[in-house]
Amino acid sequence: MELKDLPWTTVAKMAGAAAGGLVLAGAVFILSGVYNIAASTGHLQITTWLIEILRDRSIDVRSFGIKVPPLDEEGLIRLGAAHYEGGCAPCHGRPGEGINPIVGGMLPPPPDLLDVGERRPSEEIFWIVKNGLKYTGMPAWPDPRREDEVWAVTAFLARLPSASPTYEDLAGVTRGGRSGDEGLANAGALTRCGRCHESEDTGTNGDRIPRLAGLPEAYLLRSLREYAERTRTSGAMEPVADLLSERERRELAAHFARLRPPAVETSVTRDPEQLGRGQAIATRGIPREQVPACMNCHSGRQSPEFPVLAGQNAAYIVGQLQLWHRGGRRGTAYGRIMAVVASALDQQQIEDVAAYFASLPAGDVPQAPVAESSR
Amino acid sequence: MSLARSFAAFLLLLALQGCSGVQSALDPSGTEAERINTLTWLLILFSTTVFFAVCLITAAALRGGGRWRARLADERLVIGGGLVFPIVALTLLLGYGFYLMGPGSPAAARADGQLRIEVVGERWWWRVTYVDETGRRVESANEIRLPVGRPVQVELTSADVIHSFWIPRLAGKLDMIPGRTNRLTLQVAEAGISRGQCAEYCGGPHAFMSFYAIAMPEDQFTAWIDREAGAARNPSGEDQLAGQALFLSSGCVACHRVRGTEARGTIGPDLTHVGSRHSLAAARLENDPDAFVRWIRDGQHVKPENLMPPYEIFTDEELRQLAAYLDQLR
Repeated sequence: MELKDLPWTTVAKMAGAAAGGLVLAGAVFILSGVYNIAASTGHLQITTWLIEILRDRSIDVRSFGIKVPPLDEEGLIRLGAAHYEGGCAPCHGRPGEGINPIVGGMLPPPPDLLDVGERRPSEEIFWIVKNGLKYTGMPAWPDPRREDEVWAVTAFLARLPSASPTYEDLAGVTRGGRSGDEGLANAGALTRCGRCHESEDTGTNGDRIPRLAGLPEAYLLRSLREYAERTRTSGAMEPVADLLSERERRELAAHFARLRPPAVETSVTRDPEQLGRGQAIATRGIPREQVPACMNCHSGRQSPEFPVLAGQNAAYIVGQLQLWHRGGRRGTAYGRIMAVVASALDQQQIEDVAAYFASLPAGDVPQAPVAESSR
Repeated sequence: MSLARSFAAFLLLLALQGCSGVQSALDPSGTEAERINTLTWLLILFSTTVFFAVCLITAAALRGGGRWRARLADERLVIGGGLVFPIVALTLLLGYGFYLMGPGSPAAARADGQLRIEVVGERWWWRVTYVDETGRRVESANEIRLPVGRPVQVELTSADVIHSFWIPRLAGKLDMIPGRTNRLTLQVAEAGISRGQCAEYCGGPHAFMSFYAIAMPEDQFTAWIDREAGAARNPSGEDQLAGQALFLSSGCVACHRVRGTEARGTIGPDLTHVGSRHSLAAARLENDPDAFVRWIRDGQHVKPENLMPPYEIFTDEELRQLAAYLDQLR
């Protein structure tokens, strides 16, 4: 019988049998345990090839159109490096130092990122740090609402390898501060508060990090709790607060409230006109634009749940107000109050008022109530 | 009776409800509202008469005999009823309207530099400042008190968008326009409460932007404004004192003023005598301690989109204390 004389029913039966055979073979392959899932044996060549193509194409396409902000600021690079030490170095190792044998057993092993700044453009680094990578163990950023923090890490990585010789300084590893790393159950890099925040003899590690010394204890404790509950957003602070027990949070809040603020090195020259504008907002508000005077809550004469702002780093204040603008601090009752005020401020006013607060001596509490605001 | 008819009757009953009460233009209590009322009824009577006349003529044209039709087809009726009558009648009505409502009208007694009330429309409340004979300024909010029988000049403007000031029982509506002052004279005939409402859409909570106008006999009004001009009463009870401490330390003072204390904000309503007002939140809530609690904690539900931040930071106990403090500010 010629092939072309076969009736179509017979062709269909044969095709069906073939398909059934394939499914059966697949089931046997999957269920028999023949395929070795062990990290120690590596992928099949075809799997590696496929995953690499998927990875490269996905990163290429999805990072397209991401606008890179200016990443040269030292404070930003320090913030990124400091987070790298706590969040990235455990797997990737410090740049150029290689990875440790434990994570070396991962498949794929996390790459040493020494030359990542040369291998990848900033928008790709940003995309990977923000979203993580499937099939590699690379996690996404802990809080998707904090792209500003992702940019900080990107700023540091984009500076590699030239930033690697000063890594220990940037990441705060060499800072003398022992603040907060004593008596903690988990004294890893994450909970060494002094790497980023102040200690008895150092200021903050760059101006993106808030000054905590002398802030009201109730406010500090509330912030740590909010980070732990993830109602206040930060990919950097949520993991830290999560590691702390309630007792440790109380101890740390008390510690920083007691800490005597070291004198700020005032190398920055400030524009007196800007300070004047900032002072007007801080002490009188802009009633026509529904902006109350900041000092009505943040002078230190009010509820200890409110942070005192005198002497706070300007870049930190700007960053937080911008976060409010983007809707990233509406998770707490206190944040929702401030959200109304922050949304009434424009970018210029934010910078002015931040510069004014940064110019005040820390711990400066005005004696008199704030000036009367009037239309 | 069919369902539709009983439903229509029900609707009519509902509509009739609007004819009396604190916010009815058909139940006037002020000089200007009375004139508007007169004009309204005159126009309604006139229009009704014309309507029935036209109906009669139409019926005659359709059903009447040859003589009626011949008469109706006459050119004189067309000229008389179609041209002369409307011109004369409408001119007379317009003239009377001008006479009654216009600036030279007999009843528009000017307030001769006596009591003035400045009302500023805000989103979504009313800033009210009394300026008396001596030039003394007394700030209050969301309520207007008027002496009976005395013409009072009300100066209207807006701090943000266009609002419109309307107390149907007392006068017609007048827009509040940013950068411009519109003047209105109110003269109330008898003591009592009228309700006012913003009558120009001004954003989300526009419908909840109301107030009460309270007319009082002259002697009571004088006593009231003297008390209103004074500083806030000092709290005495334990709860009230705790409430005041919370008020002063929790940021309330950034927007609210309580004269005689550190609270000197001007963004929101003056609260010096808030406990003595007829309503809260621009006539949205009754004035009692529970309403204070609701407003502070759930303000965004009570009056969505209002500009006061939600204060969910207080415990129930603290809310009770705050309410006790605000309630005794009488």
